[in-house]
Amino acid sequence: MLRPAGLWRLCRLSWAARVPAENLGRRDVTSGVSPRGSTSPRTLNIFDRDLKRKQKNWAAQQPEPTKFDYLKEEVGSRIADRVYDIPRNFPLALDLGCGRGYIAQYLNKETIGKFFQADIAENALKNSLETEIPTVSVLADEEFLPFRENTFDLVVSSLSLHWVNDLPRALEQIHYILKPDGVFIGAMFGGDTLYELRCSLQLAETEREGGFSPHISPFTAVNDLGHLLGRAGFNTLTVDTDEIQVNYPGMFELMEDLQGMGESNCSWNRKALLHRDTMLAAAAVYREMYRNEDGSVPATYQIYYMIGWKYHESQARPAERGSATVSFGELGKINNLMPQGNKSQ
Amino acid sequence: MKWGFLGWVWRLMLIISRLRAFPERLAACGAEAAAYGRCVQASTAPGGRLSKDFCAREFEALRSCFAAAAKKTLEGGC
Repeated sequence: MLRPAGLWRLCRLSWAARVPAENLGRRDVTSGVSPRGSTSPRTLNIFDRDLKRKQKNWAAQQPEPTKFDYLKEEVGSRIADRVYDIPRNFPLALDLGCGRGYIAQYLNKETIGKFFQADIAENALKNSLETEIPTVSVLADEEFLPFRENTFDLVVSSLSLHWVNDLPRALEQIHYILKPDGVFIGAMFGGDTLYELRCSLQLAETEREGGFSPHISPFTAVNDLGHLLGRAGFNTLTVDTDEIQVNYPGMFELMEDLQGMGESNCSWNRKALLHRDTMLAAAAVYREMYRNEDGSVPATYQIYYMIGWKYHESQARPAERGSATVSFGELGKINNLMPQGNKSQ
Repeated sequence: MKWGFLGWVWRLMLIISRLRAFPERLAACGAEAAAYGRCVQASTAPGGRLSKDFCAREFEALRSCFAAAAKKTLEGGC
């Protein structure tokens, strides 16, 4: 599957031409990023958003939804930590792609005055988790936000932007709806996510069928994230990465859990079937190549956390060139310099 | 996607129910699975080249073990 090369990192092994012919006509992928502010709706169309909504709806109305929540809960709590790290209160906040509200349950009503929960799946909003913050549920697509400019003090997004077709535009919209001095805190899956599964499927499919199609959607590379946020207009960017490794009894249990999380593949050029022989082969390869001592197999989730601010005059800016009054050479005498009061940068 | 007369959710359910038995059957064929896995892994070494049916023999052994395990689980009663 080809994605705009500047934005997405391609897998180490190049994708062989195994895309089913009838899907090629449906995909409109350009080879470059569309110019700012003039994105047409079908310029970047890699994921079937309709199918993603159905998958998320199905996942949210399972009999035991908490069984598959562990990853989103963990990432939600880490985002909430980052919100608490900012010594400020946010009267109005938005959770984009909230699912069942994994971030809201960790925050308190002193920090957030009112929380808007937006998701494309109504079942997720209906089965939302308990929180003490007053919430408003909005059925909205991450790429088409129904909010005015300068509305929110805080926008958070946890593990939903990787299914967005036009990520630059989604980030621009987030920037648009933020107030000046507002902040966006997001978490997305990184390039190494599920690399064990991806490689096992590729190897097994190559050996069994002579070629392979992509079964894991490609993820953003960390340097591209910085560019994307900068293009969208954010200041003072911070991107850091985290890896969560979860052990599973085997490959099938992993795939079942991914389905339960609502993270099944929905790209247009996905293959309709995975032959049972190939699945068996992939499970054997996965176990042999990656298993732990206790017989379980690991799956890696690499998470990128990003923080971006909307410009405001009060924010710290780099000092003017030539305005320094102290040189780095005097760093050894810093103890003498400190009691002198204000130091310039 | 064209799913025919079954909705995609129904197909999903079918596939999941068939897959439920896989882990148990695979557990019974640990040696064959390991042999197949080693063969595929060896082809990823520098100078190796993985092509179709490169490990066909190991896979056939795995597949017959897997089918035998299916019969066993059926006869043993679930």
